[in-house]
Amino acid sequence: MVLLIEQAPDARGAPDRTPAERTVPRTIAVWDLPLRLWHWALAAGVLAAWFTPSVYDGLHRVLGYTVLGLLAFRLVWGFRGSRYSRFRMVGVRLRASPRYLWNLRRGISGRYIGLNPAGTLMLVALLVSLAVSTITGAMSVTVTFFGVWWVEDAHHYSSDAVIVLVVLHVAGVVLMGILQRENLIRAMITGRKRIRGHL
Amino acid sequence: MADGFKNCTKLDKASWKPASEAEAKAKALGYEVRRSKVEGSCYEVYGVKEGKLYELFYSPEDLSLKHTIAK
Repeated sequence: MVLLIEQAPDARGAPDRTPAERTVPRTIAVWDLPLRLWHWALAAGVLAAWFTPSVYDGLHRVLGYTVLGLLAFRLVWGFRGSRYSRFRMVGVRLRASPRYLWNLRRGISGRYIGLNPAGTLMLVALLVSLAVSTITGAMSVTVTFFGVWWVEDAHHYSSDAVIVLVVLHVAGVVLMGILQRENLIRAMITGRKRIRGHL
Repeated sequence: MADGFKNCTKLDKASWKPASEAEAKAKALGYEVRRSKVEGSCYEVYGVKEGKLYELFYSPEDLSLKHTIAK
């Protein structure tokens, strides 16, 4: 009986949906949920590892293995994830990145739903330096590589590189957010981006 | 290093005993010495013993063992 009442037409003859709901949605789903969880887990893990840099610190090691696991997931998700999580366009975007960065000086940021060429370059740089950092970190606590100078050096330099890249990444996201008038941090939380006519 | 060991001596660096002597002391204790370096005012010796990793901290003043960390 309750159902029947709810399904009854509106007494005033108003439509079931308001006009706003019937228009084409103005946002599009870009970042899938696993990718977003991955992004923020990685951010938290890397920052925490940066602030617990002692090799004696058990937490630092756990964080390192966690980040290594997250990198492995990203590798899988680059082939199994949804459209914008995949690595399919990475090669194309990378080749476009020098020109893209050059054009940015005039504020030309183009229109990309997923990662733009600069973002793709950042993704690859971060993944590579994180891989070097975590693998050399794990190596430095094995009997074979303990106290081996190049393993320690590689761990230090790659970890420093990660933090420099993280700072550039955040700066790039803020800059791009201003250029494209879109809150890209929120986009990495909700997964949705605005559809624009042109920019 | 958050919980490393740094303070072994107040002696001026010019009067420190050579690091090779700290390495020799670790070897005498049965450690396979990988390398050593200066950490704060200590000699930090990387040693392996029975498949386990250790860092030994020696005072450059009198080469006394100040601290041992198992990794």
